[in-house]
Amino acid sequence: MESSWATESLQVIRTLMERSAIYRRALAPMMLLVGGLGVAAAVIAWFAGIGSPRGFAAYWLIVSVFALAGAFLVVRRQALMEAEPVWSAPTRRVVQALLPAFFVGLVCGVLAAWPAWREPLQVWWLPPIWMVLYGCALHSAGFFMPRGIRLFGCGFIVCGCATLAVVNARSDAAGMPDLANAHWLMGAAFGGLHLAYGVYLGFTEKGKNEA
Amino acid sequence: MNPGPFLQLDRVIHEKGRLAIMSLLAASPQLSFTEMRDTLNMTDGNITAHIRTLQEAGYVSVTKEFQGSRPLTTFALTGRGRKAFTTYINLLEQIVAQTKSGK
Repeated sequence: MESSWATESLQVIRTLMERSAIYRRALAPMMLLVGGLGVAAAVIAWFAGIGSPRGFAAYWLIVSVFALAGAFLVVRRQALMEAEPVWSAPTRRVVQALLPAFFVGLVCGVLAAWPAWREPLQVWWLPPIWMVLYGCALHSAGFFMPRGIRLFGCGFIVCGCATLAVVNARSDAAGMPDLANAHWLMGAAFGGLHLAYGVYLGFTEKGKNEA
Repeated sequence: MNPGPFLQLDRVIHEKGRLAIMSLLAASPQLSFTEMRDTLNMTDGNITAHIRTLQEAGYVSVTKEFQGSRPLTTFALTGRGRKAFTTYINLLEQIVAQTKSGK
């Protein structure tokens, strides 16, 4: 009897220790913000006619900076409202898990934007690579977040790989469409998927600050 | 079966609510009052009472500060608390091991 009680206690302790490491703030507002920004950025880029390889890479790097800043402000606001530290242990773990893939994405973007002679086809590789990297980042962070995030990350990885296959297949045959069309791809992936997930979370997240 | 490990269990930690609080704090450098309350689904009064007991035993430190204009109360395990928690876990494992080996 003592043994079964001790085993149960150890199990409860393990579960609680795991739970304390999980990031629990509401994700729906962040997803909706990032998704809305992604869609708006795609529409603006299309109408602004940003079609040069350098312009494409630089433009989306700037958009990502705004998206990250917006996400940080949402997290900060939630923490302040809930009287919790902004830079809590779960938040730190999530950021640390996101950083490597984000850094590689930044390097890819800078390398794509740097030389003026870059061909449009070369920059067509950038959206799928960013999608795969972003999916990997979410999947890593998902170990410290609700399980849905890992699935969401896998969605990005699958979409990114599928796009990579298309870009690869068309790179020596019919060629890719005008680079301006890649803005729609970015808008659909980084805008549409976030919006869809944000709406889903908005209906399913329990309470205002749980996930 | 040797009752030794069971009798040595720390009575301060042994209570269900305090064990839950110690478990959370063992996995995080610090936790705020609201994080703890939401994770454990405890009332404010319960948390306060358990924390006071743990604080009196020297197992938990309480920090009160302001984040902007809002008060922020955070808890952390002290060195003594971490040691007591580790000892408690070791004793539980001993109890399980003893039963498995049939002593």
